[in-house]
Amino acid sequence: MRDYPLENRGAFPPHVAAGAGASISLAPVKGGFVIHLLGDAKSDEAALKKALAKIAPELGADVRKSAPNQWFWVGDADVSSDRLTEIQAGLPSQFALADQTHGRVRMRLSGPSSRTVLAKGTMVDLSADLFAIGQSAMTQIGHIGAMITRIEDDSFELIVLRSFAGSLWDELNHMAAEFR
Amino acid sequence: MSSLVKCPHCGLRPREEFTIRGEVATPRPDAGADEALWFDHVYLRDNPRGEHREYWHHSGGCRRWLVLTRNTLTHETSDVVDASTLKLGERA
Repeated sequence: MRDYPLENRGAFPPHVAAGAGASISLAPVKGGFVIHLLGDAKSDEAALKKALAKIAPELGADVRKSAPNQWFWVGDADVSSDRLTEIQAGLPSQFALADQTHGRVRMRLSGPSSRTVLAKGTMVDLSADLFAIGQSAMTQIGHIGAMITRIEDDSFELIVLRSFAGSLWDELNHMAAEFR
Repeated sequence: MSSLVKCPHCGLRPREEFTIRGEVATPRPDAGADEALWFDHVYLRDNPRGEHREYWHHSGGCRRWLVLTRNTLTHETSDVVDASTLKLGERA
């Protein structure tokens, strides 16, 4: 748990908004939280979501599976370290929380061409019947490890380590250039 | 060459997402075993033609260690399991 205030500074270079006719847009997700949730071998995702919804209904229970018994819990609210301590205390003892808000950042790639752009970097099949809204995959975009989550039909959220964010940002802008 | 590996947790993924550790060694000898046995265990590796069992780490995905049975001739991967399941099975 962090015991110091975070200075909230964007991980991305200043960017230019896409033109009106562009079929793609890339934007940072500002604020919010990313919390790494770790469970034991017998953890059950449905039970975890239920527990989170009960303990912290204001934060939503958007958990994205990153590995067996590991998830990223993501939301748009700001969570104080005191609140986080409370949540940890309320969770069943098989789960542990690690705040990753400082270390992992989110960005959103939207527009009709978003799937085509992502397909240049990852080989995970993002077609709607295999990768539904709300589904996540931990994968690589080029050489950068990232988690892809489908938010809407034509909108994806990416979670990436902060120190790689600038690089991925540049790479995605290159990949999207033909659609701007 | 098949460059897709069916991770038991993530599904079909490209070889580029994995880090290959090498052969699954024979069980560790006893602490007091002969030096030659230890030498064999630590340094000597087979180079089989055909089926080979290897440790692969899914470093670009779920970050789990897997044990993969790969045919060194055809590069077909027949069986991929999470390495943690081995403890329960044949390799105590």
